[in-house]
Amino acid sequence: MSDAGLVVVRRDRVGGLLLQALLPIALVVMVLGFAVVDASVLSPANLLNIAQQTSYLALFAMAQTVVILTRGFDLALGPTVSMVSVGTALAMATTTATGHGTATVLLAGFGAGFGLGIACGAFNGVVIALLGVSPFVATLGSYNVAIGIATTLSAGRPVQGVPKLFSQLFYGGSVLGVPAAIAITVVIGAALHLMLGRTVFGRSLYIIGTNPRAATVAGLPVRRILVATYVLSSTLSALGAIMMTARTGSGEPNLGGALSLQAIAAAVVGGTSLAGGRGGVGTAVLGALFITILSNGMNLTRIDGYVQMVVLGAIVILGVLLDQARLERH
Amino acid sequence: MSTAVAASSSRPGLDLRSLAVRIGFLPALLIAVVAGMSAIDPQFYGTINILNILRNASFLAIVACGQALVIVAGGFDLSVGAVVALASVVMAKTMAATAHALPGQTTPIIVCGVAAGLGSGLAVGLVNGLCVAKLKVSGFVVTLGTMSATAGVGLMITSGIPVYGMPDVFVKGFGRAQLFGLPTAVYIALAVILVMVFVQRRTLFGRYVYAIGGNVEAAIVSGVSIQRHVVGTYAVSGLLAALTGILLTAQVGSGQASFGGDRMMLQSIAAAVIGGVSLRGGIGRIEIVSVSALFLTILGNALNLLHIDSRLQPVFLGIIMVAAVALDELSRRRRTQRV
Amino acid sequence: MEGSTDSTPVEPLLALRGISKRFTGVQALAKVDLDVRAGELHVLFGENGAGKSTLINVVAGTYWPDEGTFRFGGEDIHHLPPQRARAIGISPVFQEFSLVPSLTVEENLFLGREAASGGILRVGEMRKRARALIDELGFDLDPGSRVDDLSRAHQQMAEIAKALLGRVRLLILDEPTASLTERETGRLFELIERLKRQNVGLIYVSHRMREIRALADRVSVLRDGRLIKTLDAAACTDGDLVELMTGRKIDLLYPVITHKPDRIAVDVENLTLVDGSVREVNFYAQSGEITGIAGLVGCGKSELIRAIYGLEPIAAGLIRIDGVPYEHPAPRQSLKHGIAYFPANRVAEGLALSRPVRENASMTALDLDSFAQFGVLRPGAERAAIALIMDQLKLKPPNIERIAGALSGGNRQKVMLGRALTRELTVFLFDEPSVGIDVGAKLEVYQFMKRLVEADAAVIVVSSELPEVLALSNRLYVMHHGRIATELKGEARTEQNVLASFFKEHLTAEVA
Repeated sequence: MSDAGLVVVRRDRVGGLLLQALLPIALVVMVLGFAVVDASVLSPANLLNIAQQTSYLALFAMAQTVVILTRGFDLALGPTVSMVSVGTALAMATTTATGHGTATVLLAGFGAGFGLGIACGAFNGVVIALLGVSPFVATLGSYNVAIGIATTLSAGRPVQGVPKLFSQLFYGGSVLGVPAAIAITVVIGAALHLMLGRTVFGRSLYIIGTNPRAATVAGLPVRRILVATYVLSSTLSALGAIMMTARTGSGEPNLGGALSLQAIAAAVVGGTSLAGGRGGVGTAVLGALFITILSNGMNLTRIDGYVQMVVLGAIVILGVLLDQARLERH
Repeated sequence: MSTAVAASSSRPGLDLRSLAVRIGFLPALLIAVVAGMSAIDPQFYGTINILNILRNASFLAIVACGQALVIVAGGFDLSVGAVVALASVVMAKTMAATAHALPGQTTPIIVCGVAAGLGSGLAVGLVNGLCVAKLKVSGFVVTLGTMSATAGVGLMITSGIPVYGMPDVFVKGFGRAQLFGLPTAVYIALAVILVMVFVQRRTLFGRYVYAIGGNVEAAIVSGVSIQRHVVGTYAVSGLLAALTGILLTAQVGSGQASFGGDRMMLQSIAAAVIGGVSLRGGIGRIEIVSVSALFLTILGNALNLLHIDSRLQPVFLGIIMVAAVALDELSRRRRTQRV
Repeated sequence: MEGSTDSTPVEPLLALRGISKRFTGVQALAKVDLDVRAGELHVLFGENGAGKSTLINVVAGTYWPDEGTFRFGGEDIHHLPPQRARAIGISPVFQEFSLVPSLTVEENLFLGREAASGGILRVGEMRKRARALIDELGFDLDPGSRVDDLSRAHQQMAEIAKALLGRVRLLILDEPTASLTERETGRLFELIERLKRQNVGLIYVSHRMREIRALADRVSVLRDGRLIKTLDAAACTDGDLVELMTGRKIDLLYPVITHKPDRIAVDVENLTLVDGSVREVNFYAQSGEITGIAGLVGCGKSELIRAIYGLEPIAAGLIRIDGVPYEHPAPRQSLKHGIAYFPANRVAEGLALSRPVRENASMTALDLDSFAQFGVLRPGAERAAIALIMDQLKLKPPNIERIAGALSGGNRQKVMLGRALTRELTVFLFDEPSVGIDVGAKLEVYQFMKRLVEADAAVIVVSSELPEVLALSNRLYVMHHGRIATELKGEARTEQNVLASFFKEHLTAEVA
């Protein structure tokens, strides 16, 4: 019995490892596949391009992951991004127009952007944790509210008047030769990774997601942590939104578009479990990388954009099936 | 189970009050909006506006009926908006193709087109249902995937360009026609609502949907086949979304991949949730969901007439939805604490 | 073996041979034989965890046994999903109700076997049949009311009515009287007599001697997953049954605890809970002693200690900890006040199963400087502290990085106990401490309590297992219908007295 048990365990572990490694392997195979069709996929310029594109989605996937860890999700992420973009641009345009110095302008922009993001997160957190509304309905509510605010503030048009310097710093700029977007995402990702693994707050997220009732019985301040989680998530989204605003050079009321679902898809494909308690910065980045490379490769190999949507949909379902298989192993 | 354990014998008075709270809140709000708007703006009760409201409410109500059924069984259908678009373009394409093959024969053209449209919706619904029931993947993720895929297929078929070539009879004689002064879509929506109410109250399927959403363990122990009925709810939802796609197409006169979309999906969920369908499953009635769909349509119309920026309108929808669910949750908590 | 000596010419209705069932780490049933004849009431008797509930779940088709043969109505059964069990006439009434809360009583009665033609329900016919059945049973139950509006007693009636709808050949009743009043219990007994006359076989799980005396034809005693003996009810005494159940190993199993009652650590005055499960309860617990609370399922004993810890909302009353009023209890505050709670359901309320033992054990101590400073964890210190604690508690295997879900019931309880050693605590609330764990682990839990008490902690043990609370406690409260029925001290702590206090309560209920 014990021998047979050991063998089973060993085979299980090998299978488990295979499942864990499946996504990186798929990534490599995919890149090589695209490279066969079009060698420019592997060009340094394209690789840098991929890294830069990934850095935005990775941030949003991280924002989504922290709430998914607690068995929630944030449907309002996309509209929050739009709202923050418009708010940031508007604040900077107004302060520029009234003749303030660049420091004040940037400060106003960041203040408005993060302020809106935090407000949205606080709304989600309070409605979910204190009023007991399901994350789905609560963030669907703030989805609508944020869309309304974004389009009203901008009157539905891009907000111009963002100072050049802002774009130069946060899109054109670089740290030690690394483009700003990548540098920021790496720093934030590392910080978040430490936070999840090394702080009481991070530990609490995993425990709440695994068994919320046990967390309550063990005396964790579950409601407070949940509110903080949604605020953290929206703050990350706001950061991503500000970076994307720097890229476009204007406040875009449609910037968020399908980002909510894309970020959920990235998190899930990367291996974050919607059942809560499993995932992290690694899964978020991996998922974002996968989806970015997939669409980049399909773009370069001139696969129709509509076909890409179908592929993305299929990938999401496949990702969850894999997650299911992994869960059953546990 | 704590909800089940608490609460002692029910007094009829209490029941009546909770009944009034549950059903009364929405019609009361509806009447208030209607009365207020009628007083403010005579345009509101103009024939054109009323017909417009009824037509739009019909489209939403049909989709919301399917959505509500899925949610009552404990699921979610994010793909309904995309199905509306898919059914629209599939039907229009099929009609155009059959018209090419059998010029002038309107009946087979229409039959083929409608069947193809409904079939495409049913197919998406079946995929959703089978993935949820057989592969045990959460409805949220499955329909998130099929939503993207379905929208993609719709766009692929048309390259994003409207599809023309439907028989005139279908558009003028059906889509834009009126019967006793009301658009055909209204009659179809009423028929759907009546059938669905009947299904919920008087059929095995409806009963089992409630049981599965209410307590899946109890349903299994009682010998209810779970998978078949879960697949059924998604199939009905897909079918009804396709029906809306067909009605919209017939009214507009062309198949468009831009129909439905996220907006229709979100509104259908909002209608269900405001109409008292619990996301925990097991609770929710089609007739109230239909009233809720009407309410949402009237609200949008009223905000338009009041010249409230259309961009600001989602804010109202969002707040009303969260408030409705929060109220429901609070009353549920009070219920469990009642001695 | 017992069956063959007793065997009547007719084959028994139900014949189980050599039934075994294993769950992760626990042998729930080992080679159990059971015969139930048509028209007989067969009592299953045994302590909690003896295997009774696994056995009835096997009969009802919820679990399929790992080995053994299953014959019902003279036919070998090789596959028995719950719906098939019901179709062939096996109807279970469990303590966890199989009702859908959002449906009405009538809809629940017919769930899965509605009267319908072509998929369309025949509502009128079902209403008539439901009324007829409820009238026949003599229950005071409205078929039109929603189940989540009903009291526990009424839900129990609905459950019994559900089991009796249709053709029943074998009825399984799991402590059916636990939440019924005396009058309703009387009705149930009449009903059981009627069913026996109609040749229905019954399996009846109960702890209550009086019911066994009144109803049983035969009694099967289970202990630690084994069938000890099947006896004729008429030919055995209460003493025989208790002895068989406990197996005369009381002295061996329970450690000798020296109680030295000291200051009053917990003092509860007129406590009433919002949900009414506890009403006007007064009691106290001293440091240096184990205070026991006994009572039947649903009597409010768990809710009482959960309220002290802050898990149940309080309507009125006062709790004092070390003489200081403790208002608005909440788990976090309770831990800071030195109160720990060990939940009965360790899967639902205790452990995060997919997280490692280490994280589960340190869960209640993350606010301490020794585990985290300024919100940053100290992984090294945590690992060292938890490893030491789990070593003391003899965790098997001694690997604190294993996920908690991979552990057996006993080791899971040890992880819970480990939490208590991570911080300074003075009051320990144990809710059904030995449910779902094997004998060896039980002993270790008892030893753990002994060490606590002898270190002058106040320990409160809530248990449905009478021998356990009797042996462990210095003073014993008995709860009934949300109130303290009696307090027993010293020599007065006997099984007889505890049972008597239930009866006394029953008598007063009857008068009222």
